[in-house]
Amino acid sequence: MGRRIAIVEDEAAIRDNYAAAFEREGYVVDSYPAREPALEAFAARLPDLVVIDVNLADDIEGGFELCRELRSRAEDLPIIFLTARDSEFDAVSGLRLGADDYLTKDISLPHLMARVAALFRRLEALKKPDTADSRIRRGELLIDTERMTVHWSDQPVGLTLTEFWLVHAMARYPGHVKNRQQLMDAAQAVLDDNTITSHIKRIRRKFIAVDKDFDAIETVYGMGYRWLAD
Amino acid sequence: MNLRRQLLVVSLMTLVLPWAGCEFIRETESALRLGQQEMLASTARAIADSLSQYPEAFPTEVGGNVRAGDQLYGHPLEIEPSIDGYFEDWPLDEDALQSFGSGEQAIRYAIGLYGAYVYLFVAVPDSSPVYLPPGALPGTAAARVDRIELESLSPPYLEERFIFAAEAPGRIVTYLEAATGTTADPTVHARWQDVPGGYQLEARIPRRLLGVNLGIIVVDTDRAGDRGIGAKSFDAAVPGPFVRPSEELQDVAGKLVQPGMRLIVTDASGWRLAGAGSIGALERRSAPQVSRWRQIVYDVIVEAGADAALAEPAASGYEQQRYIRSALNGEPASDWFRAEGGAVVAVAQPVLDNGVLLGGVVLQRGTDEILSLTNRGLSRLLSISVIVTLLVAAGLIGYASWLSRRIRRLSLAAEDALAGDELNAELPSAAAKDELGDLSRSFSNVLGTLGEYNAYLRTLASKLSHELRTPLAIVSSSLDNLDHENLDNSARDYTQRAKDGAERLRRILNAMSEANRVEELMQNAELGRFDLHAVLSATAQAYRDAYPERRFEYSGEAADVEGSPELLIQMLDKLVDNAVGFSAPGDTVVLELSRFEGGVSLAVENPGPPLPDRLRGQLFDSLVSVRGQGDNRHLGLGLYVARLIAEGHGGSIAAANTDDGVRFVVSLPRAQS
Repeated sequence: MGRRIAIVEDEAAIRDNYAAAFEREGYVVDSYPAREPALEAFAARLPDLVVIDVNLADDIEGGFELCRELRSRAEDLPIIFLTARDSEFDAVSGLRLGADDYLTKDISLPHLMARVAALFRRLEALKKPDTADSRIRRGELLIDTERMTVHWSDQPVGLTLTEFWLVHAMARYPGHVKNRQQLMDAAQAVLDDNTITSHIKRIRRKFIAVDKDFDAIETVYGMGYRWLAD
Repeated sequence: MNLRRQLLVVSLMTLVLPWAGCEFIRETESALRLGQQEMLASTARAIADSLSQYPEAFPTEVGGNVRAGDQLYGHPLEIEPSIDGYFEDWPLDEDALQSFGSGEQAIRYAIGLYGAYVYLFVAVPDSSPVYLPPGALPGTAAARVDRIELESLSPPYLEERFIFAAEAPGRIVTYLEAATGTTADPTVHARWQDVPGGYQLEARIPRRLLGVNLGIIVVDTDRAGDRGIGAKSFDAAVPGPFVRPSEELQDVAGKLVQPGMRLIVTDASGWRLAGAGSIGALERRSAPQVSRWRQIVYDVIVEAGADAALAEPAASGYEQQRYIRSALNGEPASDWFRAEGGAVVAVAQPVLDNGVLLGGVVLQRGTDEILSLTNRGLSRLLSISVIVTLLVAAGLIGYASWLSRRIRRLSLAAEDALAGDELNAELPSAAAKDELGDLSRSFSNVLGTLGEYNAYLRTLASKLSHELRTPLAIVSSSLDNLDHENLDNSARDYTQRAKDGAERLRRILNAMSEANRVEELMQNAELGRFDLHAVLSATAQAYRDAYPERRFEYSGEAADVEGSPELLIQMLDKLVDNAVGFSAPGDTVVLELSRFEGGVSLAVENPGPPLPDRLRGQLFDSLVSVRGQGDNRHLGLGLYVARLIAEGHGGSIAAANTDDGVRFVVSLPRAQS
């Protein structure tokens, strides 16, 4: 049985394109042009993953509202924001509301598919027992590529998918400088320099929330970032 | 000429006020004077008519060819002079002395009347008088001695001559030379007095001995010819009439004259026959004190009259004022004189008897009305106009200063608002209800509109990119879906091209929204203190790798700044990208970090074409690009982003042309120690 993906998007052309792409991958797609019809349908049955546009026609912050309501109803429902709004502020807002990822509409369909697949994979992996071979340990850092989770000093660090891939790319080869392009490729996202910078900043903050002495990510000016080996 | 000066010039218009006042005063004064003259003239006419009833009282002449000035005039004397050879005891002024002859040789004389006698005084300059030899007769043909002769002519042509010659100074014997011969005349009392440089003669002659014509002849043997005549008081062949004031006329004049007036009656030649009354007004009242400067102003604005002293009866008895002469020519005339504190109005009227000119009547009246009136008017006018002019000038200057200060403040505020980008700033005078208020409000409106426009421009890029993102997403997602359709090779080429185009469009949109995101980053950036030199050294190396076709030279010194290294590097990226874009392969891009007082400056210099002047002011504005039209990857946002970052760090950015290229300089404040 295919997984159900709900797309809430006011732009019919994009909605249909995404729906077609998801269906090609074998998902079952429900698409809704606005918040109310989506909520009505979700009341009856929750999908397995929701892709929401922030800006729903006249309902400017409708996506955020929808995310809040869905999150209150289902704690671990994967939610992806897919929006034209690329400002730092909107991204932070979206992620604070509990979205698993915040993607701009720049993203190509293959990338989007990969993201969705990864989210489902993380969901799956969380249900399976641990297997040691999917883990990468770098000092205090523990990366589980199967469940796509990160732990620091045995405490979970709640990273979004994008952030997970960035940490993974840096930590896989500690001491190597990863430039922005490499990081971008690793995150399978089209991000500009500023976005990388803010992602790194956010990652650092999340680690510091767990360990205030965290300084494993080093900025190499003019080149990129690297994970410091112990 | 600034506004204040313009209004000052305008305030000079108040000087019209005193001018108009002066005109008014002048008019008033001349009207008053004319009125007085009219009145006097009619009185004078009446007097002249009365006097024409006494034709016999006016002297008639013996012989027709009397020349003007040939007359001798007898002054009525109030006291009797003693015969001592000196003039000092005569009750006459020195000015009463008439003279004939010329220059240093001028002979001065005076004739007085007292009681039944005629008094004669003659002063002769003669350095070497020749005295009469003892016993000799001083007749005309007699010995050559210096002498004075008084020639008398009585009708009908009875000629007599009194001869005064001295044997020695002192009392002398007078000889009468008549047709009957020369005899000593004991009734004539005479005294010869030597004085330095000449001699003086004083004589008393019974009036009955003298004729109607009299002449004085002075004989100086030193300078005369055989006849020895030195000088004569008359030019004609015979002496001129002896003019004496007429007692009859004097009586009549005394009756006719009115208080405050002076009446002078002259004969046809202008010799005074009678005088009565006085110009009392001026002497009676105390004259208003006229200050010197006011007198000057008065003279300037009001027609200046002749000095009142000229109105006095001539000491010589010969009235020669112009208006009198005019009357004696048959034309009534008037004149006026100004005295201290008053004025004298004078008229002259001919006295005619059946068309024959008998003489003239001069009537004078002193008045202080005119002057005091004009004087009062003048002083009030002067003080009022001075005060008004000063007030108006001060008021206008104050007003102009206030106005120009408001205008200056308005223009400064407008300039500041334009320079500082605070386009909605409150302008001064905005609440004023006058035109400046209107101007200020219009300025505010214009600035506000400009501000909105600028804000719109600033956000245009990000708005545009935002709006274009959705259609771009439609295009690229459709292309992605198209990949999964069965397409032949050529169709794949086309979709690939379409994808490339969409990708390029995406990059452009990213660049457009970059500025916006930099602003957000600036606000959220955690500023830390770091050594810019260390960061730049690493970055310069990165640039060498990134742009292998350019050489990079970096020089700098340790310099701590407060800020976000990522953002500063992003700024440097923009500047380096710009430098690389405008230079040629092989060129050297110079990076310099230097410290100056209170800050650090970071310079990026590249050889290349200079900046066009027209863009100098807006080089760092959004959507302004120096690059050619064909280069569509540059929207002119790079330098704008650089500026945002520099200003976000409390610094500034500037660009200048060098000898062979362009130099961008970013100044940043140094970190507080």
